[in-house]
Amino acid sequence: MSYTTSHVSALREALRRTLGRPIEFGLVVASSATMLAALALIALTLWRALPLEQPQWMRPQALVLAAGAQGEIDLAAVQTALRRVAIVASADFLARDAALAELAQRKSLSAIGLTDLRPNPLPDAFLVRFVPGAAPEAVESAVAEMRKVKNVESVEYQPELYRRISLLSQLAGRICLLLAAPLGAALIIGVSLAASLWIRIDQDEVQVLNLLGADPSIMRRPYVYAGAVSLLLAAALAWWMVVEASAWLEPLIGTAAQQYALRWAPAELPIWAGALFCLGAALLGALLGWLAARLAIGR
Amino acid sequence: MRATRRLTDNFTGSYAADSSAALSSPSVRTEPYISEATVQAPLLSCEAVEKRYGEFRPVLMGLDLAIRRGEFVLVQGAAGSGKSVLLRLLAGLERPSAGAIKIAGEDLARMRPRALTHLRRSMGILPPGDSLLRGRSVVENVALAAWVAGSTFEEGVRRARAALELVGLDAERFAAASCAALASGERQCAALARALVNRPALLLLDDLLGALDEATAARVIGVLDQFSAAGVTVVAAMRSGAAGLTLSDSMWPARTRILRLLDGKVAQ
Repeated sequence: MSYTTSHVSALREALRRTLGRPIEFGLVVASSATMLAALALIALTLWRALPLEQPQWMRPQALVLAAGAQGEIDLAAVQTALRRVAIVASADFLARDAALAELAQRKSLSAIGLTDLRPNPLPDAFLVRFVPGAAPEAVESAVAEMRKVKNVESVEYQPELYRRISLLSQLAGRICLLLAAPLGAALIIGVSLAASLWIRIDQDEVQVLNLLGADPSIMRRPYVYAGAVSLLLAAALAWWMVVEASAWLEPLIGTAAQQYALRWAPAELPIWAGALFCLGAALLGALLGWLAARLAIGR
Repeated sequence: MRATRRLTDNFTGSYAADSSAALSSPSVRTEPYISEATVQAPLLSCEAVEKRYGEFRPVLMGLDLAIRRGEFVLVQGAAGSGKSVLLRLLAGLERPSAGAIKIAGEDLARMRPRALTHLRRSMGILPPGDSLLRGRSVVENVALAAWVAGSTFEEGVRRARAALELVGLDAERFAAASCAALASGERQCAALARALVNRPALLLLDDLLGALDEATAARVIGVLDQFSAAGVTVVAAMRSGAAGLTLSDSMWPARTRILRLLDGKVAQ
């Protein structure tokens, strides 16, 4: 392999060009790291608050009481009918005896003589869960349909609560998107501009290489490496920022989550996640460097 | 690629066999190595070439030209007469607005960009002005052309040193020096060494003697004459009234063909 066509040579050239302009390089790395860290923090917060599988408290559910007092009924038929209702994910049977036993275990209720009650006053019930993310209107419509099912006495569902949760969830998602989209765009534009700027500064070199008959792919290669190296360093810096910021915010958020009975799952940031983050950023940098070089050298 | 192979292949049987010797020693044979039939076929040809930039008057108008292998052509003209444009067209760096330019029978306008890129590796191009890269040493600047053409690092450096010696620069003294530290004439010689380092089949030299003193100019002409005699086609451009043209006629090879460009046409 010849000297200029080797990858080692291209990497050396990339380092020469980037480290040869320490101020510009430092600025690009620092600004990219800040944006990457902000993006990573947003993603991490979302992940901890709203994991891919929505927590139970966020999922719409209803308690369907069967008309047990009127004698024996076909519970299996009721369950099947409930499951057939649109957007119902599951309908789990809660036997009245099991419900009574569960209530009896509670000290406060056993103290008032609940366990002495005969016969069991509780009805058979079904806990119906709807598909996650279902629209509140669709859930309400399904609840109305369940009320019409034979042998269903009543359906307990709090429409206001689910409407509020749904609204807050949408709002949080849109705020995060509003923050993440400009940050991501700024990162991509910033790195591309930096790569283009370097190519313009190196225009003499590009012209001479063109004159000498260098392959455009070989001329682009140092810029691909420069982009990868820049974002690799930026990602490493960003990961350190994320780790530090997490350690700083974790106790406060944990306490607040406990106070408001919200789900918050603090977790150590694994090293493999950091390595993956850096690798992804390096690949993104290489891609942006390649695109910028292709546009600039192509001209 | 096809044109590149043809240009180089035809050349391999003549000059390239002794090319390493040509670079390592200034005493190249002055007798042509190639057969008369090969010499007669035009290596370069321009057919009714026209070049205009926007609405301005054309820089070149209806230019017809045929240059044979091993010919030494001096393109001469006043500033703005189209010499540099002609050389850029011959190098495939620009396309003519009308007409065709052929190298070894291949129309440059029809060649793919990648093939043109490869073709330029078999040319030695000296652009006008200072074209050396300031951030690199002299030997790196010269070796760059060899590296681009596929030489290993060591081979590139070895050939760069030989080329520097050939144009009269002390390789030991100048190799590691930064280009910024060179005088303008030395930079011109280093740029010429870069044009020679790949043992090209075609030399396109713009403003050849622009920054050279008389003694260095004479030496450079002598070197180019040796290359030309060995089968290399040399097309050099010089401004009318430039210092080089005041050299005595005997300094130019006797077979030098002079083309005078006047207002974009070859003056009769």
